[in-house]
Amino acid sequence: MGQERFADVVERFTDGFGPAAPSVSPETIKQWQEELDKNYRRLRNLHTMVTNPAEPKVGQTPREEIYRKNKSRLYRYASSRRHRTPLLFVPNLGISRPYIFDLLPNGSFIEHMTREGFDFYLLDWGVFGPEDNGLTVEDCVTKILPRMARKVLETSGTEELSVLGYCMGGPVSVSFVATHPEIPVKNYINMAGPIDFSKVGLFGLWLSKEHFNVDRFVDTLGSVPADMVKAGFKLIKPTMDLSTNLNLWWNLWNDKYVEGFQALNKWANEYVAFPGEFFRQWVRDFYQDNKLYRGELVMGGRPVRLSNITCPLFVVGAKEDYIAPPECVRALVGAVGSREKEYVELPGGHISLIAGRGAALHCWPKVSSWLGPRS
Amino acid sequence: MADTTPNQFFDLWKQQLEEGTQAWTRLLSQQPPAATPPNPMNFWKPILDQGLQNWARLFAQSPASPDLMTQWKQFLDQWIEAWSKVLGQTMGTEQFAKLMGQSLDSFLVSQAPMKRALDQQVEQALQAFNLPSRSQLTAVAKQIVELEERIERLEDGVGAVLRRLNKEPT
Repeated sequence: MGQERFADVVERFTDGFGPAAPSVSPETIKQWQEELDKNYRRLRNLHTMVTNPAEPKVGQTPREEIYRKNKSRLYRYASSRRHRTPLLFVPNLGISRPYIFDLLPNGSFIEHMTREGFDFYLLDWGVFGPEDNGLTVEDCVTKILPRMARKVLETSGTEELSVLGYCMGGPVSVSFVATHPEIPVKNYINMAGPIDFSKVGLFGLWLSKEHFNVDRFVDTLGSVPADMVKAGFKLIKPTMDLSTNLNLWWNLWNDKYVEGFQALNKWANEYVAFPGEFFRQWVRDFYQDNKLYRGELVMGGRPVRLSNITCPLFVVGAKEDYIAPPECVRALVGAVGSREKEYVELPGGHISLIAGRGAALHCWPKVSSWLGPRS
Repeated sequence: MADTTPNQFFDLWKQQLEEGTQAWTRLLSQQPPAATPPNPMNFWKPILDQGLQNWARLFAQSPASPDLMTQWKQFLDQWIEAWSKVLGQTMGTEQFAKLMGQSLDSFLVSQAPMKRALDQQVEQALQAFNLPSRSQLTAVAKQIVELEERIERLEDGVGAVLRRLNKEPT
């Protein structure tokens, strides 16, 4: 017995199994072999994930901190600068961390943009504590953004900059551009940033005046704790965790997929609280009163008129975005005073528009090819 | 597959274990002590590959096909998607929004006095132990933020003066 190989034993066993062997095609055998091999790999990766979970390395593109203001940081990424005009990227405040835009090497928006030769700056709003509960949207628009934009101009040695707003960074940065003509913005890009809040979907309904008392909420809790932010986002797509775990099991044999999943999962479970006053103004002025689109918003004593924006404009909406549906993003195109403006609607959801394989295929090349000749 | 008895599988497993143990013994006795540690996968891979091939042949004789797995996954995807749509439609109704708003309101109404009382008690306890409270630390942090803003305003003022001086002809 000791001299006999295991494979021979199995072969002897299968030979004696029955007369069906001749009818089995080699393709079917090959298919089964692949399936069994996948299952072996699934178990191996599951074992590693459970017994020795590796902390995924995220945000690896080299960068330098240019400026800090309270919790906010301005980072400049190393690039082979081929375009003169720098790009200031303004993501959402609160909710999640911005390393999703630089998640893994060879697969992130920031890496793509720096490889394309853009002088890329990221505004990281930071993680807020109770001492920041007094921070408002107005503070972000009139105090933080102008300062960061000036620092971009100073450090890049240019007279103009481009601004890209993503998600909540869209309406916040668009308010800044519309109210600060003294800061020369050469190009403006809005990616999945809601503008017309009358078309904003489920969150619009849940946060409406009739159903949500924002004053009571902020006065009681002081801020929006990270757990509440998480609950809100989980509720908007309750089956998300189920399909994520099912897809994980299905692709668990694939080491590359597992690596990507671990990084994405780390990000997806790291929620960030909202400062109380920011949330109050955000819900009341934007969601409930739709003041930005109606032209009734005032920031730092200056009326926010979207028609004041006259620079070239590029707006990107995501077809399956349930946080900022495409129709509320597209509204910016009709509201600005720009002569050169373009809207594209790409496949994907709110996150997959800018992060992941689909984004690398559909979104990033569109953004860089639009911005490149204008920078 | 239906004819295979648990005993046959157990025998297979036992044989595999015995063979593996013997192979490991051989491998370890042949390796010089200073050599780099052997990679177990290098040893197991050919055996596993052949084993897989034979198991694959065994499974292939059954009426089931690996496509069934894909079909099962597709079914689950569709099932989740269908539930997602149903839940989305339910959550998109005025009734759901109203119910959620009411639940949140009642939570906040009950939470507010409890939170206030708890905060007060914690504050008193910390004071008794001569320790700073959260609100005191928050107040200090706020002062630092305000100081930072003042410095920024000063920096702006100095910067503006310097720019004006640089522009003026000497």
